[in-house]
Parts: sequence; structure tokens; C-alpha cells
Amino acid sequence: MKKHYIIFAGLVMVGILYPQMFPGYLSVAITLLLYAGWATAWDILGGWAGQVSLGHASFVGLGAYFVAVGTAHHEIAPWWSILMALVAAAMLAYLWGRLTFKLKGPYFTLSTIAIAEIFRLIAINEGWLTGGATGVFIMTLPEPFGLDLFSRQVNYYLALAFAAITVLVVMLISCSKFGYQLRAVREDEDSAMASGINPTTVKLKAFMLSGALTALGGGIYAIFLSFIEPHIIFYLLLSVQIALTAIIGGRGTIWGPCVGALLIVGSGEIFRTTFAEANMLIYGLLIMVVVIFMPRGIVGEPARYLIRRVYAKRAQG
Amino acid sequence: MPSALKADGITVSFGGVVAVNDVSLDVEQGKILGLIGPNGAGKTTLFNALTGFVTPQAGRIYLHGNEITRLPPYMRTRVGIGRTFQTERPFEELTLLENVLVAAFLKEPKRKKAEQLAMDVLEKVGLADRYDQPALDLNLARRRRLELAKALAVQPSVLFLDEMMAGLNPPALKEMIEFVRRLTDQNLTIVMVEHIMEAIIELSDHVIVMANGSVITEGLPRDVIEDPRVITAYLGED
Repeated sequence: MKKHYIIFAGLVMVGILYPQMFPGYLSVAITLLLYAGWATAWDILGGWAGQVSLGHASFVGLGAYFVAVGTAHHEIAPWWSILMALVAAAMLAYLWGRLTFKLKGPYFTLSTIAIAEIFRLIAINEGWLTGGATGVFIMTLPEPFGLDLFSRQVNYYLALAFAAITVLVVMLISCSKFGYQLRAVREDEDSAMASGINPTTVKLKAFMLSGALTALGGGIYAIFLSFIEPHIIFYLLLSVQIALTAIIGGRGTIWGPCVGALLIVGSGEIFRTTFAEANMLIYGLLIMVVVIFMPRGIVGEPARYLIRRVYAKRAQG
Repeated sequence: MPSALKADGITVSFGGVVAVNDVSLDVEQGKILGLIGPNGAGKTTLFNALTGFVTPQAGRIYLHGNEITRLPPYMRTRVGIGRTFQTERPFEELTLLENVLVAAFLKEPKRKKAEQLAMDVLEKVGLADRYDQPALDLNLARRRRLELAKALAVQPSVLFLDEMMAGLNPPALKEMIEFVRRLTDQNLTIVMVEHIMEAIIELSDHVIVMANGSVITEGLPRDVIEDPRVITAYLGED
């Protein structure tokens, strides 16, 4: 576990110095950090608790809309609206989970798509609340401590803080009682019950934490974009990308979602400039290669191989 | 000795099929109750009703005098019921220590103490030297012992063993029988479903024989297996 904290500290240091080294590539880095944070947050529910959600765009949207509508229509400072979004996201996750956790496996996943679609339609059609299909512009933002929240540099550090917080939360969970309850529920709910664990409670807690953290990233995303549209931010594609980032990197591992974000955002960026037309093709191939040859993900597969090899060696002599 | 587990008129039916019909039992603290009968007799269903994994249509269940009939399985674990599964259900992705740790956390919420408890239990069942091995790679006899370790780590007062002996080779069987016998020295009450007669005869203080969902006879193990009704239930009439 110590090893993970050292890696974490090292990465945060690199993250802090990055804008000085590559001031021209801040937008890509912001996207990467947001995806790393979202995928890590998604993984609390999807990887550690084993409940694959394809509805996490709803939480991104919730966070983004609280911030955007808050500043644009009600003059609420973003830090207050993000706090409200966190509470709202946790409440939403609670109700959502109560409604759908009776469904298992792919049926749960399908239900998340359906519920997320409801939120997209609300965002498009309830203009009085959300600004409707045209979206919301963030024109002005307060300047806390003289910081310009529109500047790329500030956006970058917000995204870095978001990614660092989610990874830190997962690191703390992974060796706690709650972390083991999550893994037990993922592996076998009956067996978990025989160990005194209430699977529904554990899954609800995971969903609430996962949803709230995702909404935090959504709020930062809104500040970064300064213009949000329901078609993009509540769209199924965003949910799928968040889930794929974690799945490709390695579900239920601390660093998998971050590695997934590096690979997906990074390769998307490289291939978009070099093979403009083939971009999506290469993206698809990448996903297929990982799913077929590394079903536990890029981090999950070697980690597992190592554990088993170390053990096999010891068993022989 | 006070009653540890008591059941009154348990009836379970699936659709129109009555799997368990009006079964009552009473186990004293520190004793072993053996539950036998031919396949399809309703042993496992009764077992699941007692541990909360199946809801009975009628009847009441008491643990140390407190009614637990309506408690869900995880609540029954919290009040003192431990169980194993007939087909072992380890958390395959976790190591042996982590498997037992999940259960140990129930009584020891602190990681250090829970780990200590889990290690002690692994020691007891003879798996301590493999504590960091993934559960996926275990052979049958060791999977059984891990299953037992998980059930013991919740520190139950009544332990339910579902066919723990089936498929074990003779030395492993002997070891398991010895192990279960030693558990009752610590005042643990045991209910076991078993097909291996050797284990039933050696261990049980009292045996209940089921056939077609009902109790056909009960008593001391030696008397029960010579009862003509039991022989008929197993072998059929001619």
C-alpha cells in the first residue's frame, strides 16, 4: 500500500509542475485529468462493487448544470453550487439505487441507460430550469483570491485536484472494511450476506460516493467549457466513455482508470492529428484488443499474473 | 443446557411443491444436530430457511430464545449464525486472508485486529501458510476449509455446515471430522446436513431424518440408522 502512496505523491508533483513544462498543452491535460477522475469515481461502483453503470453522464450533467445554471441564472458562486451538486448527486444516487439494485448484471446496466436518458430529456425540454436545448453560457465568474476561473491554468489545477481527490478516496477505501465489503458483494452476494454484509446498503453507499465525486468533476467541467449543452453533457456516449476508460485500464484497481484515461485521451489526441479519418477505427481496435486479450484491463491483467506467479514459485520450493 | 436453536412447524413451498412440511427441531447449546435423508428430502431447503436464505410460509425460528424468523440472512449472521455453502463460495479474486478478513470485519471493525482474527482462524483450519494465495487456485479439500474459516470468522454461536464432508478422500474426511468435533469443545452449536454416514454417526448428538419434506424419525445416530423407516426411505420398498 505504501508503494501506492509514493506513486501518488510522485504523480501529484509531476501534475503540479506540468503547466510550467508544457504550457501549450493544458486543454488535453485537463480533459485527461477529468476522465481520470470520472473513471476512478465510476470504478467505485463499477469496479469495486461490480455494478456496471452506463448512466454516469447524469452525474456529470448534474454537477455541470448546478454550476452553470447557478452562476448564469441565480448568481450563486460555483463553490456553493458544487457543494449543492454533491448533496444532490448523493441523493439522486440513493433513489436511483433503491429503484434499480434489485436488478442484477446486465439488467442493472440497461436500467442505468434508461434513467440517464430521462435526465437528458429533462435537460432538453424543461427550459425554465435548464436553459433547454440551446444550453447555458457561463458569462461571469467570481474571482476568489484574485484567481481568474476562466484561465486555463486555474482550470488545470482544479482538474488536477479533482483527479487527486478521487484517487486518494479509492486508495483509502481499498484497504478499509468498506473496500472489502465492496469486493465481497461484487464476488458473491449470498456469500457476502453469510459474512453479515447487507449487499444493498453497501452498493448504495458505493453509488452515492461514486455519483457525488462524478458530479464534482462535472462542476469543474462546466467551468472549463463555460458553455454546456444537454446533447453533449447528458449523452450516452459520455457515460460509455467514462465506463470504457475504467474497463480498459482495469476495473477494481487503484491505477487502472488513470492508465485508461492516459491511453484513451492520449491516443485520441495523437490519432486525431495524424490519422484524422482513421481516428475512430483505431479507437475501436484498441478497445477490442484490450477486451479480448486483457479482460481485466491493462493494469488488472499483469497485476493478477504477478500475484499468481509469485505464489506458484513459492509453492514449488 | 439451554436451547441454542429452536424451530417450530417450519413449512416451505415453491409454487405447489411443499419442500419442507411442518418440521420442528430444538438443539441444545454445544451439541451437534445431524440432518440426513435421501436426495430431494428438503434438507437443504430447511437449512436455507433456518439461515434466512429462503422464507418459510409458516413456522417460527428462535436463536437463544429470540425470534429470528423475519430477519434477513445478514442480520442472522450478525446475531450469531454462521454458515457454509454446499458448493463452496470463496471470493475467488481475493486471497485466502482477504476472504476470511471480509468475515472477520463483522466483529472487529479495525483492520489490524480483523487481520489478526482472520489469521488465527486460518491457522485453526490449517491454511495459514497459504494466506496470500488467491482463492481461485485452491483444491477441493482446501476450499472446504476456507469455507469453514469464513463461517468461523464471524464468530457464530450456531454453525450450519452444508455437506462439508462430501467428496473428501479418507484422510481429509478424518481430519474434518476431528476438526468439527473440536469446535463443540468451545460451546459452539452445530447443525449439519450430511450424506457421509461415518461423519453423522461419529459427530451427531441427535439425528433428524427427512424424506419428502417431512421428518420421518429422529433420535440417537445408532438407533436412527437401524430404523426400518429410514432404510426404506433410502433404499425404497420391495
